[in-house]
Amino acid sequence: MKKYILKRVLTSIGTLLAIILILFILMRLMPGSPFNDEKLTDDQRVALYEKYGLDDPIVIQFGRYVVNMCKGDLGVSYKISKNTPISQLIESRLPISIGIGFYAVFRGAIIGLILGVIAALKRDTILDTICTIISVIGVSVPSYVFALGLSYTMGYKWKWFPMLYDSADAFNSSIMPSIALSMFTMASIARFTRTEMIEVLGSEYMLLAESKGLSGRKLLFSHALRNALIPIITVLAPLIVDLMTGSLVVEKIFAIPGVGSLLVNAIQSNDYNVVIALSFIYSALYIAIMLVVDILYGIIDPRIRLGKEGE
Amino acid sequence: MKKRIMSFVLAATMAVGMAGCGGKNADTSATGGSAAASTDLNVMIETAVESLDPQQATDGTSFEVIADYTDGLMQMDPDGNPVNAIAESYELSDDGLTYTFKLRQDAKWSNGTPVTAADFVFAWQRAVDPAVASEYAFMLSDIGQIVNAAEIIAGEKDKSELGVTAVDDYTLEVQLNVPVSYFLSLMYFPTFYPVNEEFFTECGDTYATSPETTLSNGAFVLDEYEPAATAFHLTKNDDYYDADRVKLTGLDYQVIQDSQTALMSYQNGDLDITLVNGDQVEQVSADPEFTTIGAGYLWYVSPNIKEVEALSNLNIRLALTNAINRVDVTSQLNDGSLPTYTAVPRDFAADFSADQEKYSAYCADDATAAVKYWEAGLKELGVDSLTLEMKVDDDDAPKKVATVLKSEWEATLPGLTVEIVTEPKKQRVQDLQEGNFELGLTRWGPDYDDPMTYLGMWYTDNSNNYGFWSNSEYDAILDECTTGNLCTELDARRTRLYDAEILVMEDAVIFPIYTAANATLVKANVTGIQFHPVALNRVFKDTVKQ
Repeated sequence: MKKYILKRVLTSIGTLLAIILILFILMRLMPGSPFNDEKLTDDQRVALYEKYGLDDPIVIQFGRYVVNMCKGDLGVSYKISKNTPISQLIESRLPISIGIGFYAVFRGAIIGLILGVIAALKRDTILDTICTIISVIGVSVPSYVFALGLSYTMGYKWKWFPMLYDSADAFNSSIMPSIALSMFTMASIARFTRTEMIEVLGSEYMLLAESKGLSGRKLLFSHALRNALIPIITVLAPLIVDLMTGSLVVEKIFAIPGVGSLLVNAIQSNDYNVVIALSFIYSALYIAIMLVVDILYGIIDPRIRLGKEGE
Repeated sequence: MKKRIMSFVLAATMAVGMAGCGGKNADTSATGGSAAASTDLNVMIETAVESLDPQQATDGTSFEVIADYTDGLMQMDPDGNPVNAIAESYELSDDGLTYTFKLRQDAKWSNGTPVTAADFVFAWQRAVDPAVASEYAFMLSDIGQIVNAAEIIAGEKDKSELGVTAVDDYTLEVQLNVPVSYFLSLMYFPTFYPVNEEFFTECGDTYATSPETTLSNGAFVLDEYEPAATAFHLTKNDDYYDADRVKLTGLDYQVIQDSQTALMSYQNGDLDITLVNGDQVEQVSADPEFTTIGAGYLWYVSPNIKEVEALSNLNIRLALTNAINRVDVTSQLNDGSLPTYTAVPRDFAADFSADQEKYSAYCADDATAAVKYWEAGLKELGVDSLTLEMKVDDDDAPKKVATVLKSEWEATLPGLTVEIVTEPKKQRVQDLQEGNFELGLTRWGPDYDDPMTYLGMWYTDNSNNYGFWSNSEYDAILDECTTGNLCTELDARRTRLYDAEILVMEDAVIFPIYTAANATLVKANVTGIQFHPVALNRVFKDTVKQ
């Protein structure tokens, strides 16, 4: 297992380096530049390129970037917050997006699991239908519709939660956005859980376990749910990254100072360093979470672990 | 077994639900307490501050916030005229080339040091320093005509040779190449604001990125801010030399990009002033708190006269500009924007474009004339149909305008097909600058209070002369008005500028469409916000909130 993890970590580092290179080339191929404001003269544009080293060959720029990054220097913003170190820009925003994303995944996954299990156990009853309806709505209605709906009801009408994100009251400010974001996760997880549970519950080993006289709780949690969890975790992993990296629209509606809106603004203004840094962080998060998922498989399903160890 | 499962499920659901309830209660008490006592003005802005460094900032939001806590030599009166701020008095030499400003001695930075002439010298030298690469350096060179500014920007001279000197701590002398009639109005533009050298050096790279690295000499002090913040705060500066004038306890800024959220927050009482988008106007137009405020921006279509054969034909250009129904465009926008038939926008530069009928022979909402020009143009080109592509910013308002233009053009001019290409603004600007377009929908905001901020664009080889139009008579008039003998004769200059404008209009160099306005809601208990189309769009020094 240790060897396996080490191998995975090394591959991940290689992948990340490749990602930076691709990002770097893509950014430079992108039309426009951070400095083509109407008011700039050609001389000033040249001066700005020189100032930020953008006139060097791309290989040198890339080398410099990687060296600086290893020192923890992600460069400065050219446009959205002029000359501010990227690390300073991200530092306060990433925790907010991750926090809201975490609430959303946690809430969505738990409620989704519960709904899925109920639907599977009460298959073809009214409870199953209700759960299915909830999941269909959750999957098909976009999160910003929920966000607007929540903002109007719980924020504007009833004044339960602040409509605009307030950093002094981060917990309450995160509730509405995280509920809005969790709907899709909840619905997807509910659907997968239902399908998987029905399959597992109908399998022969469950029949065997039941005939051995195992108690209901043990039967459900250690046999049925545990087996049903594997495909669910596979679905959950990318959802986690999606949510943690911030949702642009939901951030916009609640005026959340997260990374989603930062990335979109940066892309629109060709703020190279901000885009590269954020995309890099996203990729790193994604790779890290996939790694955790692979390790989780081993814990949940001994067959995978044994298989690896046997190699 | 089933009962057990159900009880577990119920318990879990309740636990999740309880978490939400706890939050609700805590919140109600928190917001209830703070709102009542303060007279902070809650201000909505659409975009975050890009830079608080006065010599680096380029956008309206940054300018507004910098001016909240910084005074320059001059400030704006409610009509937009320059009046003394840090300058106590000034003298202009007889030849109009030397300004001598006497500075007031009671102006202090928020760290206690007095504001001196050296602070202005340092800041202005920064503005033209090629190493700083300030985007608004042209305000000192081309616009302000300060001695040696252009040479320093071009790297030909050292910044110490700039024509600005601190004669003593409270006397600042500025040398100009030619008399500049609007020079004083430049002094309230943030690029000309002072920076304390000692403080700047202490902060190094972090200058103006946090409250600790910002100095105030103005009405407010920045006390909560971080780069690209979506919410930040300023408190009244009790040490401000004119502190009695400031009635607000502070300014609470909130960046809100979603217009629905902004409107609900306003109605909820979280905001005192907010922008409203065109779709929401109907909903609020009956509200006495609703108002539209001229933004000074001219939206126009630029035809590529040099590179596109069809558009080098004058009749085709006149057909296109006359086929636009500008009244229809602005009624679709529904935000108070004004139809415009002049190359200089309305309600700007002492109402330079008050007469909107002046060029009606060349530019009007006149479908009949348009068809005549169109037929003549097609005949000259020897074709019976045309397809033109129009590049447009990928934003709501421009896309809406483009759709209306397309349908009006295609309905009025037989055989015309217009294809709309939407692009991110950066790309659209680059395409227009490089001549890689046929028609371009673009806009221009004024940099200073003079028609030249617009007319200067169509000077031969100006980087914003997108159609590459060139007319020696036009260039000569502009030379006469900027560096020639009309600089000091203001009435004659104004008349000559109309002579220049008519050349742009009769040649249909641009198709003006409308002067933009901001549909705004301001709470009834708030008075005294100054709105200006130039430099500082909003000033809160005289604002009162009851």
